[in-house]
Amino acid sequence: MDCKKAERFLLRSLDGKLDPEKKTLLQTHLEKCPSCQRKDRDCRMILSLVRPQTVPEPLPYFKERLLAKLEEKRKTAPALLWVKWAHRAVALSLAAFLLFGAGILFFRPQEPQELSQTEKFLLQGENPLGEAASILDQKKAEDRNMMLIFASVGDRDVSRRYRP
Amino acid sequence: MDEKELIRRSQAGDGEAFGVLAERYKGKVFSLAYGFTRDRAAADDLAQEVFIKAYLSLSRFQARSEFGTWLYRVAVNHIKDYLRKNKHRLKAIPLQEAGDRALASADLGPEEERLREGQRKIVQAALARLPEKYRVILTLRDIDGLSYEDISRILKLSPGTVDSRLHRARRKLREKLTGRLGRQGGEHGL
Repeated sequence: MDCKKAERFLLRSLDGKLDPEKKTLLQTHLEKCPSCQRKDRDCRMILSLVRPQTVPEPLPYFKERLLAKLEEKRKTAPALLWVKWAHRAVALSLAAFLLFGAGILFFRPQEPQELSQTEKFLLQGENPLGEAASILDQKKAEDRNMMLIFASVGDRDVSRRYRP
Repeated sequence: MDEKELIRRSQAGDGEAFGVLAERYKGKVFSLAYGFTRDRAAADDLAQEVFIKAYLSLSRFQARSEFGTWLYRVAVNHIKDYLRKNKHRLKAIPLQEAGDRALASADLGPEEERLREGQRKIVQAALARLPEKYRVILTLRDIDGLSYEDISRILKLSPGTVDSRLHRARRKLREKLTGRLGRQGGEHGL
């Protein structure tokens, strides 16, 4: 048997949980191993020292003091319960408010966007620059300006109107 | 009165019935607390707190285990909290100083007894420095003398885990004490 196994047996033997066969094996090992003999001695000594020499009695009037404390607890319990629930209510309200805010921020319904003139042209497969090209082709500046004015008035999107 | 009846009455809010239960179990709970604190007043305070906690959570006791086991579980959890909160204060005394203090105390009698008390204090200080899980299992087994089965039920661990954890805890305690107790003398100096 090696020392590692002997230590395992040794610690078990402290609880008297070692069967006779293993006990004999341990004894045989201990007889020829001074290191394990020392471990055995140490363990038994620690075990005897770890227990307090005497355990005193609880302080006098244990039950009476306990019952007085329980009575006190019972009196303050409703107030404590209210405080406990008030704290919870505040926390829950705050969490609900934050969740509501986050919901509005992230899940705001998107307004359907109206298509611009250019997008309409592109969707219909037409050249959006066709109208602009015909305006720019005008040789007279007055005609060009008039056409630009008409084009901008015709466009329903105010922001896209021509501004001189 | 039958324990089940006492529990039923206590659950219904009968303080006196709970007082009888406390009277029956105060020794065990106090002894457990004393095993951790080695201070009578602190152990008494802890035992009182354990019973108050048990009374307030008695409605959750469903008799799936023995009342004693359940109470021990409440006590162990409460003492663990206490140890966590007082971690630094409880570990403050160096191992050697703990032994020296005991040796210096005047009320001890013969030389051998004083040496023994010094060694006891060193072991106690070393125990306080172990990680909580080892300290708890060593206290339950080696100080309170609970069976493996009871420890398994109280700590909600498998018997195999109890066995291996206890093995590691004893080894760690021995390692911590190697070379320490020798300086205090004694015929079996480590």
